[in-house]
Order: sequence, then C-alpha cells, then structure tokens
Amino acid sequence: MHRINIVSESFLKFKTSKYFGFLVLVVMTLFFWGFFRLLSPSNFGTSRLVISYFQTSIQYAVGGCGLYFIVVMGLFDFSVGANIVLSSLVGVLLSRQFGYWGLIFGCLLCGTLIGAFNGILYSRLRIPSMIVTVGLMLILESVANYVVTLDKSGFPGKLSNSNILAFGHAPWNYLAAGIAFLLMVFLLRFTKTGTYCNAIGSDELVAKNMGVNVERYKFIGFVLLHFFVGIMALLTVSYGRGMLAVTGMSSMDRNFKPLMGTFFGVAFKKYGCPVTAIVLGEFIIIMIFNGLVALNVPTTINDFVTGAVLLTIVSLTNRGLKGSVVK
Amino acid sequence: MDNPSAAATIKRQKTHIFLRGLISFFGFIGIVIVFSILTNGRIIRPDNLSLMFSQVYVLLIASMGVFLIMTVGGLDFSQGSILGLASIIFCWVSNYSIVLGVIAAVLAGAAMGAFNGFFHVKFKIASFIVTICTMYFFRGLCKYITTNGPVPASTNVMMLNETWFKLLLTGIMLLLGFIVWHFTRVGCDLRAIGAGETAARFSGSRPDLLKFLVFMVSGAITGFASFINVIKVGSITGTAGSQLETQILIALVLGGMPISGGAKARFPNIIIGTLTYCVLEMSLPMVFPIPATQQLVKGIIFLIVVALTIDHESLRVIK
Amino acid sequence: MSDVILRSENLYKHFGITTAVNDVSLEFEKGEIHGLIGENGSGKSTFCSTLCGIYPISSGRFLLEGKELRVRSQVEANRHGVSIIVQEMGTLPGLTVAENIFLGEEDKFMHGVVKNTGAMNREAQRLLESYGFKHIIASKMIDNYSFEDRKLIEIIKATYFTPKIVVVDETTTALSQSGREELFTVMDRIKNGGNTVIFISHDLEEVIDHTDRISILRDGSLVGTVKSSETSADELKRLMVGRELTNRYYRTDYGQSVSDEIVLSVDNVSVPGEIQDISFRLHKGEILGIGGLSECGMHETGKAIFGASYGRKGSVTLKGGYEVKSIPGAIKHSIAYASKDRDTESVIIANSIRDNICLPSLADMSNHALLNNGKLDSFAKKFAELMSVKMTGIDQYVSALSGGNKQKVVLSRWLGKDSDILVLDSPTRGIDVKVKADIYALMSELKARGKSIIMISEELQELLGMSDRILIMKDGRINGEFIRNQNLGEKDLITKMV
Repeated sequence: MHRINIVSESFLKFKTSKYFGFLVLVVMTLFFWGFFRLLSPSNFGTSRLVISYFQTSIQYAVGGCGLYFIVVMGLFDFSVGANIVLSSLVGVLLSRQFGYWGLIFGCLLCGTLIGAFNGILYSRLRIPSMIVTVGLMLILESVANYVVTLDKSGFPGKLSNSNILAFGHAPWNYLAAGIAFLLMVFLLRFTKTGTYCNAIGSDELVAKNMGVNVERYKFIGFVLLHFFVGIMALLTVSYGRGMLAVTGMSSMDRNFKPLMGTFFGVAFKKYGCPVTAIVLGEFIIIMIFNGLVALNVPTTINDFVTGAVLLTIVSLTNRGLKGSVVK
Repeated sequence: MDNPSAAATIKRQKTHIFLRGLISFFGFIGIVIVFSILTNGRIIRPDNLSLMFSQVYVLLIASMGVFLIMTVGGLDFSQGSILGLASIIFCWVSNYSIVLGVIAAVLAGAAMGAFNGFFHVKFKIASFIVTICTMYFFRGLCKYITTNGPVPASTNVMMLNETWFKLLLTGIMLLLGFIVWHFTRVGCDLRAIGAGETAARFSGSRPDLLKFLVFMVSGAITGFASFINVIKVGSITGTAGSQLETQILIALVLGGMPISGGAKARFPNIIIGTLTYCVLEMSLPMVFPIPATQQLVKGIIFLIVVALTIDHESLRVIK
Repeated sequence: MSDVILRSENLYKHFGITTAVNDVSLEFEKGEIHGLIGENGSGKSTFCSTLCGIYPISSGRFLLEGKELRVRSQVEANRHGVSIIVQEMGTLPGLTVAENIFLGEEDKFMHGVVKNTGAMNREAQRLLESYGFKHIIASKMIDNYSFEDRKLIEIIKATYFTPKIVVVDETTTALSQSGREELFTVMDRIKNGGNTVIFISHDLEEVIDHTDRISILRDGSLVGTVKSSETSADELKRLMVGRELTNRYYRTDYGQSVSDEIVLSVDNVSVPGEIQDISFRLHKGEILGIGGLSECGMHETGKAIFGASYGRKGSVTLKGGYEVKSIPGAIKHSIAYASKDRDTESVIIANSIRDNICLPSLADMSNHALLNNGKLDSFAKKFAELMSVKMTGIDQYVSALSGGNKQKVVLSRWLGKDSDILVLDSPTRGIDVKVKADIYALMSELKARGKSIIMISEELQELLGMSDRILIMKDGRINGEFIRNQNLGEKDLITKMV
C-alpha cells in the first residue's frame, strides 16, 4: 500500500515537472514523424529532409518567441507580417552599402524601432492592441513599398550578391536562431521581464497593486516582439534570397505560422518549458505540411491545415471558465 | 440630486452620443467634399458614381452581418473566406437552378457561421481567435477546390447583372435587417448583451444562444452576399473575397461603430461606414496614384477615427 | 516611553455616501496580537485596507512609530513595514512560488538587468523551510499547489521581511486545522520578535485564544477594547451588537399572521462548494429574511432560487408544479431577482434606463414579434416615475445614476413585469436613508398586494425590522429560524450566525 503511494506520489511530482512537458513534446514529434514516414517513406522523413524541415521551422520559431511576450499578456499584434517585409527590405537596402553589417543591423534595428512605434501608439491612443495593429499593418506595408523605391540596385529587394546569403543555410542560420532562443530563455528566467509579463497576463490589476509598472512592461513587450521579428526577417530574407513588398494586407498571411508556435508555448507554460514548446511545436507543424505534400495533397490545402491545427491547439488549451464572459 | 456631478456627466453623455452619430455622418460628407475638390469633381461624375456603387452591394450586405456580431462585442475575421466558399457552392448549384443556388449559398454560409459560433460559445474561445482559425480553414477549402482552375457559374447568372436588381436585393436585405434590429426584441437583447453580458443574462436574455445565432445568421447573410458577388464576377478563384473581413472592419469603424459594441451601436453605422469606405477606395487612387500611398492614408485615417470614436467607459482594462 | 507602535487618529473612510469607517481612533502596541472583530459592514476590513494602501484614507491619519503613514499601494506599505494577508487570493498563477514571494521586490537579486534566479529560488526555499512548509518547492509554478498551500505562500510573502505590523484578514476561514496551526505559529513568532499582528476573524473562540487584546467595531465606529484574558464570547457578542432597533422606516406591525399558501418550495438544494441541503417554504404575502455572515451561502441561495447557479442540485418548485431551472424560465414564471452585485448583475451600466426597465418584459409587449417603440417608452416612463427615479429622461444611461437610483431602476423593472416572487439580495446596501425608506415602503406595499419577498441581507437591523420570518445560515446550511416578534434582537440572530 505504502509503495503504491510512493509511486503515485512521485508520478504526480513528475507529471507537473518540466520533464513531463518535454516528454510530451518529444513524443508528439516522434509520432508525427513516424506517421508520415510510414505513409510515404520515399519522400518524407529521411535525415536530409528532416534537417531541411528543422531549418525551415526555426525561422517561424524565432517569430513565435517574440509573439509569446505579447500573447502571454493578453495582447495581440497583426503587424508582425508587415514588419517582416519592412525589416527585410531595410536590411537588403543597407546591405548594398554595408554588406553583412548592413543586413544584420538593418533587420534588427528596423524591427526594434517598429516595436517602439507600435508600443507608443498603443499606449497613447488607448485602443485595444488588436485594432491598433491593423492600422499599423496598413501603414507599415506602405512604408515598405517606399523603401523598395530607394533601392537603386536594379534588383530591388533581392539579395543578389551571393556573398551575403550566409544566413540562409547552416551554420549561420542555426547561430542566429540559437542566439534568439538563448536570449528568450535568458529573458524569461533571468530578468524581471518574464515574471512581470506573466503577472500582467494573469491579473493586470493585482499586478499593478504589487508595484508592477504595467505600462512600461507592455511597451517592452512590443519592443521585444518586434526585435525578435527582426531576427526572423533576417532569416526569412536570407532563405528567400530577397523580399517582395506587398499591399492590400497580404502580409497578414505571414502572421500565423509564428503564432502557432506561440500557442504551443502558452500551452506548455505551466510546465516551465515554453521555448522548447515553441521550437518543437513549429517543427511539428512544418512536418505536417511537408507530410501532406509528400502524400501528394495539393499545396493549396495548406491553409486548411493551418486553420485546423490552430483551432485544435486552441480548443485544447484555451478554455474559458464557466460563467465567465468571453468576447 | 444625490450626485452633484451627475448633471455634468449627463450633459457630457448626451453630447457624446449626439456627436458620435454626427461625426461619422459629417465625416462622410467631409470626405466627399475634400476628395471632390482634390479630384476636380471627378468622383461625382455619374460614371464614376456608378462604378463606386457597383462595389458597394457585397460590402453593405456582409457588413450588416458583422454589425450584429460586433454589437455583442465579438469579431469575425472569416467573412472573406465564407464569401469565397459560399460563392463556389452557388456556382455549382446555379447550373441546376439559380434559386436553389441562392438557397444553397445561404445554407452554406449559415453552416460556416454556426461552426464559428459553436467553437466560440461551447469552448469559450475568444471570437477573434476562432474566426482567424476558420478563416484559414475555409480559405484552404476554397483554394483546394479551385486548384485546377476557377469555378464558373451558369451563364444565366451573368444576365442578372443589372444595377436595379442588385440595388433591389440590397435594399430588401437592409430593410429586413433594420426591421429586425429596431422592431424586435432581438435588437434589444443584442445591445444589452454587448453592453453588459452578465446583467443581460440576469434580465432574461440568453447570451449563449444569441451569440451562436448571431454568428450563424451573419454567415447566412454573407452567403446571400455571395450571390451578388457571383453575379458581378461570373466565376470564382481561390482568392475570392480575400481581405473582405478587414474591409468590413474598416468600413464599420468609419461609420462610427464602437469596437466593443453595446448600446451605442446604431444601424446607420453600416450604411454611412460602407459609403465612406467606398468613396475612399475610389477617390484615393485618383488623388494618390501610388497604391502604397493610398494604403498609408487609409491606415492613418483608420487610426484617427478609431481613436476618436472608442468608448472608454465600457473598456475597463484595455488589452 | 510608549509601547504603542501604531495609532489611528480620527480615521474616516467614505465610499460615496456610505461611511465605512467612522472616526476610529485606536492604538496598537508592540509585541501584541490584537484582535479586531465586528459583524459584516462594521468596517474592520476597510480600516485595515486603508492602512495597507489598498484604499486611500478619506480623512484622519495613521501614525506609525510616531510618524505619519500614508501609502498608495501594497508594495509601498511593505516598504514601510506594514503588510496584509487578504481574504481573497493574493498570489498570481502563471508564476513560480519564488516569483510570487518576491514580486515587486526583486531588486536584491538583480545585478543590473540580470536576475539571479538561482539565488532567488534558494532564498525562497530557505524561507519555506524556516517556516516549516518543506513540501512546497520554490522553483515550481504556483498553479500546481492547492488554495491552502497558496495561502501559506502568501503568509511567507507578507511576513518574511519581518514587518512591524501584519494584518491577518479572515485568513483562517480558508485554512484547514493544520493550516491554522501553522498560521498561529507564525503569528506567535512575530509577536515574540517584538512586532504586532492585527487579527481579524469571525471565530470568537479563536480570537479569544490567540490574542492579547480585542477591539470591537460596530457600524464603522469603535465600541471598545478589552483584554482577551478577561472577556468571554458572550460579552464580545453583546459588544458587537447592542444598538437600539430604530424602526423609523421599518414595519411597525407585529403579530400579523402569514397565509398558509405556499408559493415557492426549496428542497435539498445544494451547490458544490457553496451551499448544502437547503430546504424551506415561502408563503404568499410573506417577507422571508435570510441572514448570516458574508460567506454563509445566503447570496448563493438567492442565485440558486433564480436559476442562476451552475451545478445546482435539488429542486426549486413553484405553486402549480413548475420547477425553476434557468433564468428565462424563472422570469417567465414571475420570479424577480435583484443582485447584491448591482453594477455587474442587476443593471446594464452602459445602457439606457429605458432598455434596462423594458428588457424582461419585452416578450410580453411584442405582438407578432414586433415591438412598438412608443409603447416601450411609455412603459419605461411609467415605472421609472412610479419609483421616483431621479433622472433627466429614460434615455439617460444608468452609469450616471447614484446607487440608490440604480436600485430603483432595478425595482421598477420588476414592477413592470409584475413579478409575484421577488428575491432581493442586499436591497439597501450602499443606499442613503431617504431611498432606503422608499424601498421599505415599497416592500410593505407589495406584501399587502399579495406578493412574496425573499430578502437576503447582511444588515441585522433590516432583517429584524422587515421580515415575517428569518432564516439564519452558517457554513452553507440553514442554522436557525426565527419568527417575527418584538422581543427578537440582534444577539439572538448572532448566536446562530457565528
């Protein structure tokens, strides 16, 4: 009797530890890999392909990390996609003159400035984040188009010089993403930012009474979000060897792959391993997409899968309480 | 009076409501005047006017549905995808009978709306999250179906592309909507739920049921709008209706619709807003030939209008 | 040379027209555990909340060690050595135990921007062990721990920095026996260290056992301070009440018999975690009062009758056999409900008086599903004027009205619906004297017309003054029943409440 108690007690202890969360993620990853591998062994899941899936997924994971700060506080930002476009183009533009330094600083600095801009507008205008960032998306997309016109190289938006494509492949893409992930872990565990963002998301009024400067940390959240998006832009523009400016709100499409990782991160927050959840979550999603392609499902079904996966994750993790008002 | 500052508050509230109604109306007039001047009167020429109006029907009808959703405080980002998918279904069925096609499109829209409503109400997930997911979900189906090419409607459909016909249909829809809104208890209940869901519940409203219905009805309305959409375009591609939801959002905001809905929602918001949006859409290219500039101006105007019309009293914590 | 560490001088706290704390001048000594007792609404929690920065003071002041103390947040209060363990949940989910303990005070673990999480966790673990809570791990998320464990963590959060004053506000009600023992150990340790505990509780035996002195508040004023060793539970109860029954606006009739006709039957109603096995009958033309301490379950009972509870077991049946299961059903069958939480559950603040009054009656007023707006306007006007609502017009938004007028709007709504059974929860809370009298007069009139009323109230005076019968609840069950008579007094009710 006593022994059973010890076993069940230590299982309970394990169940709430971070290792359990980690285990669940690993099992899910293996499951999806195994599933598609079985169905289509010839063009899915070989070690070479798996590496390419992972390389694709880390760019979204970086964006997902940034979005985490905002989503955890209960905010949202629709201009992430527009930022990717704009920061990429600024990076490309500066790379013409300054090579790698231009590319890196262009993306990161632009991202950070956009974050500050968004943060200021959000607190000045006192409009819900969702709405204000729709307006910001329109504005940022337009600005991106202006930036393209400044590029007199003859191939606007293209990283034509093969000398600066390093971030599009190993080991540099791993390095950039790795730095982003380490930074994320550092911020969450070793600074007040992680604690306070969680506190604000939990109960903003109580947190305020405990001395948390809510306004400041929301601003910091926006800046961090767009800084990480700047890193994502660096990877995206290198992978794609350039970037196209768009209008008509098409940049919205870029918002949602990172968001899926963020939802994974939020779901696993209580196990204390959000970053792992974001990285593995994106990896799983990319595997699902590639798995479907390997099964000859037309790529047009992509969006359908995106929606279904997102909805499933959210239904499983995001329940409201009985009697609460959800809009 | 028990409350000495009550007199001041009342006066401020009355002027606020009065102004809110007027801001959008004068905004509309103002924009027409400004752009008439900037385009040297081109926008009020008859051929341009009728071009503008040809865009308005779908937006007007679909906005009415979203208006209902926003009144209870929700949001719907899947409208464009619903329009696309419902249009496809209409095209298929129209080859047998146009009337059946319309019914099929409305039912399809209702089904999609009900899907949204179910997840929102049953799982208590925020409406904007649910509808972002379903936006992709339905859009994906749209794209998949049109993988091998656009879906055409029956050729008879194009013959219905007469202004008077579209105007008539739109007018009937709006009239029906207005009657339901103003003269039935549904309108009262929706405003009450948007203004204070818990208290509305304690007064006998059924928020869960109404929220579900409102999504379903909105889907059905958009299904009807897809009929008009197909009349105009004739065949549907994978990107049909894309960005419609954001257009609707911008249109309603320009019309003075409060973001959080509630008692300050007014039916004219739909009409004024849509007209303002269409005028902007048509005028901006004439004044600013570069698409990027048009969008920049649109974004700035949007932010200014939202900042002016937001109802701070009913938003305690701004997220 | 004074042993006094904290003194309040003529402290007042007003909320609108209600005075919650009325000219309280009180002294607390070093190294004592000082009990603070009083019934609901006596001001004890409010008094301590003003001390700890949760509410601002209206007038008067606190002197801590001779210097004036005026703080604006709990964190600021902590810096001055004053802390509070609140009644509700004082920790945040989504953070670790250590993060919760040190929230707002991370600076001692910071090197520039970097937080030494390891050191913070170690320090938190050390504290947990020194308090004897070894089973709690500092680095784990607080979500994994029970409500009681979270309260224990809150105790550490409030006391680890050896504050000079610790307020323990009704904390024992949330704890099990062993949890209480832990709390008392902590309190003794604080006292032995030369610091002070202000202990608020409804459990009089507990208060006598663990305190040095006890102060009693009544209606916001200080009644007196006694030595715990020299007093008894009975004397405390006497001091807690003992005011005259002012029946200026209550009913003046006694000995009137109530009809035998039963209009509402409540049978074995339970709501998990709130109320257990509630059964009683309501008669036609009866005013049935339900009273008790705030958390006794009486408010939940009101909701259960109205069909507003989640997970309710048992049955609520009307004359004629209809069983109430949902709010729309209850309203349709002529039950009305006015909630204690007026602004969230009774009136729709961001809506007009007209819409608020008409809402439940819309079904009755529409013929062929169409509404006549003119009819609605006159309906609303008629009943608003009947209740003398002070307004500029029925299109005015309820948010601009005073508490009393908001309540009048609620009542006019149910008058308009002509409901036969009215469940009124705290109907005169926060309302001024004149409007109170109006509401009591209305209740008498409704009774005369054959309507039946259930009045749930934390004010004993009100219950004694207006009810034909009073049910007292304690810990989720009915604990006593009293019939209206002139000799019935507050202390009779209190014996069944605490």
